[in-house]
Amino acid sequence: MNDTDKSLIDAHIQGDPTAFAELVRRYGDSMLGYLMRMSRSREQAEDFFQETFKRVYEKAHTLRGNRFKPWLFTIATRVAIDGLRKQPHCVSLNQNLDCDNGRCEQLSAVADTSWEPSQKAVRAERKEQVRLAVESLPERQRATLILAYYQQLSYSEVAQVLGCTIGTVKTQMFRALKTLSQRLPDISEEMR
Amino acid sequence: MKEHLTEKELIEYQFKLASDIRMEEVSSHLESCAMCREYLERLKRKFSALDLLREDVKISEDLVSNVVEQAQGGVGNLTVKKRLLRFAHKDEWRWVGAVAAVLMVGLTLLVANLARQGRRYGPVKKPGSPIVEKPADTLRPQSEARRMLFARDEKKADAADEFEQPPFAPASAIELVVLPRRDNVQITIYNSADLTLVRERRNLTLKKGWNWLQFMWANTLIDPTSLSLEPLEKADKVDIQQLVFPARLREVGRWLIRSEVSGRVPFEITYFTSGLSWRAFYMGTLSQDERKMDIQGYVRVGNNSGEDYENAQTRLIVGKVHLLDEIAELARRPYPYGWPFVRGDRIRSISGALEVDSIEIKDRLVVAGFFDDEEIGRKEIKKEGLSEYFLYTIEGTETIPDKWGKRLLSFEAEDINVTSLYKYDEERWGNQTIRFVSFANDEKHNLGKTPIPNGSVKIFSQADEPVSPSASRDGQGYLSYVGGTGIKYIPVNEDIELNLGPARLVKVEPTLMDFRTDNYVFGNEGNVSGWDEIRTWQIEITNTRELPIEIEITRGFGTAYWTLQTDITYHGLPARDSTARMAVVQSKHDATHARFNLNLEPRSKRIFEYTVTTYHGAREETFIKSKEQEKM
Repeated sequence: MNDTDKSLIDAHIQGDPTAFAELVRRYGDSMLGYLMRMSRSREQAEDFFQETFKRVYEKAHTLRGNRFKPWLFTIATRVAIDGLRKQPHCVSLNQNLDCDNGRCEQLSAVADTSWEPSQKAVRAERKEQVRLAVESLPERQRATLILAYYQQLSYSEVAQVLGCTIGTVKTQMFRALKTLSQRLPDISEEMR
Repeated sequence: MKEHLTEKELIEYQFKLASDIRMEEVSSHLESCAMCREYLERLKRKFSALDLLREDVKISEDLVSNVVEQAQGGVGNLTVKKRLLRFAHKDEWRWVGAVAAVLMVGLTLLVANLARQGRRYGPVKKPGSPIVEKPADTLRPQSEARRMLFARDEKKADAADEFEQPPFAPASAIELVVLPRRDNVQITIYNSADLTLVRERRNLTLKKGWNWLQFMWANTLIDPTSLSLEPLEKADKVDIQQLVFPARLREVGRWLIRSEVSGRVPFEITYFTSGLSWRAFYMGTLSQDERKMDIQGYVRVGNNSGEDYENAQTRLIVGKVHLLDEIAELARRPYPYGWPFVRGDRIRSISGALEVDSIEIKDRLVVAGFFDDEEIGRKEIKKEGLSEYFLYTIEGTETIPDKWGKRLLSFEAEDINVTSLYKYDEERWGNQTIRFVSFANDEKHNLGKTPIPNGSVKIFSQADEPVSPSASRDGQGYLSYVGGTGIKYIPVNEDIELNLGPARLVKVEPTLMDFRTDNYVFGNEGNVSGWDEIRTWQIEITNTRELPIEIEITRGFGTAYWTLQTDITYHGLPARDSTARMAVVQSKHDATHARFNLNLEPRSKRIFEYTVTTYHGAREETFIKSKEQEKM
């Protein structure tokens, strides 16, 4: 935790209402990105996001040490995993029409025309394949991959977040990558 | 370290999962091993697919406010369902919570119902009065004219809260007017999936406030689930709110557009349709000596989509693109999702009629001028590599009306060096000699710029006699049909071998001249346990063509234990003609076959003999031992 995180947490504990908002802004983008990859929709991710920061607000005084970021991701991971377990995974065609701003992956495969559509369609379809491949991973492996690869946490930070050893994190990461090497689509530079 | 790194080691190296010592070992190995470096690159490319999920996520200030508000004791902007669940979790308030939930739901429904009624019974426009734009062009294709309608909701035109609430979808088409015609259209045909991506640009005249745009796809094969609308300008002031499919109206979708500006705004409408297809075919002309060939490649684009495409930029995709859904199946649905009525019979009848009508359509196109050779000559197809598939863009624009087809020149190559080869293999083609022409899709053969899509090939040959003296000078003699075949997709730098069918002017006649057995081996009880069979075959080859030929004769022996007498006896040649003797090349083709390659002069006959010894029973072991000794 850098000095600013520390000072913001201290200020929040002492009752400064702006400190907490600043923390949300500071980690909001990466946290929402993490939760969107962990969840199945933006709406669900935003719910997890709110729940995560609510817990941060309430439990800030329990933070020991100076590593706010892993602690934050620990909370988010628990919220996401608990939330996903409570809600069965069902896919409805109609959900495509409900998504806003083109965020729904399935629909974007045919609806997003902000760029060359044929390439966009193929790209979106591949993106969907990648999303499904990542989503097919077991929870721990998925969390490890997302934290280490997308959120660029170090393996020791991931270990802190998931409450395990670095060796376990590396094992989970390797298993995830091994599985993905079989399931990821082949892409070339032209299509990226 | 081992000779090559395993996938596990490379993954661990790439993602820094190994120990520092191990990382150094792998790193030093990679410096010296090109194969492992290449494998690592492949792995990197593979995992680079993960980057497709990288996207910049930005939280909105609203979300920050909600989070802060919720954390500070409120419930923020949580969904009603979630609020109720949270409330219900507190045991002491369970019953109060349930009652409150019922009341909230009831109240919400009541308010919503009142609001809807208010809109339904609000001021109604007189038919025709709100028309703001007349049909722009009476020459517009009918199918296009009936597809695009546009309406504006002017009920709140002057209201201060014009953006506050979206209007309910109009229940009738009274207020809808025809839009201007397309400014341009681009079609991209994915042959492998019966799928075409259509992008059309239109200028819509919007008014400030809410606007409705209606899209109809009756009698077309458009996939309604793929409809998309995007403003090409003023995107920050024009918002596409939703696409609705009104109840009781079939094959109609309506977009709700919120605009902060009035006036013309260019839009792009994209959708997928099926019914458009293309196929490739090729015409080759062999030179008189059959060492060179000119080839022309064509594509024929057919349109059975139910929609006319005027002046469309046409692009063709070669190769297979994996798609999540079968668009043709989607297009058969009159409603986007789950409607029970299926029009499969009509679609099938259209598909079935395509091939039947092809010749007739082609004739009509000639009359209509669509097969104008000069026009075909001017057109060029631009090719562009896209990963494992290929994109051909036809230069300029093409008009492809519904139920019509159009032939376009794809490429032209001259003076391709080709090799003519006759093949004889009884096990594959019986007692016929088959003719092959081979070349390669590479620069040496004046090709190799693009892969060649699968299609049919027809090969013609310049006949000996010219049509006229002038034609002779131009090298334009009679053309004779040599043969035709189908080719599969040929990547760049791959060889092409065209099977032109049986050759009547080249004959091969094998005759068994002698058969005997020898080298009997007897077992302990005096029974025969092994023996050799020795056959002498005479092969007579007759070339009645006016050209020299090369022929490849494959002979099978039915066993892997055989030896061939290398001293081939030749007939019909001067005894000391060693050059001619050398012309026959004998080789082992595989375990059970030998091949003989030889050249024949025009109008000549060649006879040669070979003797093959096959080993049976216990003699097979003798054969194996002798081969092992030869190796040593």
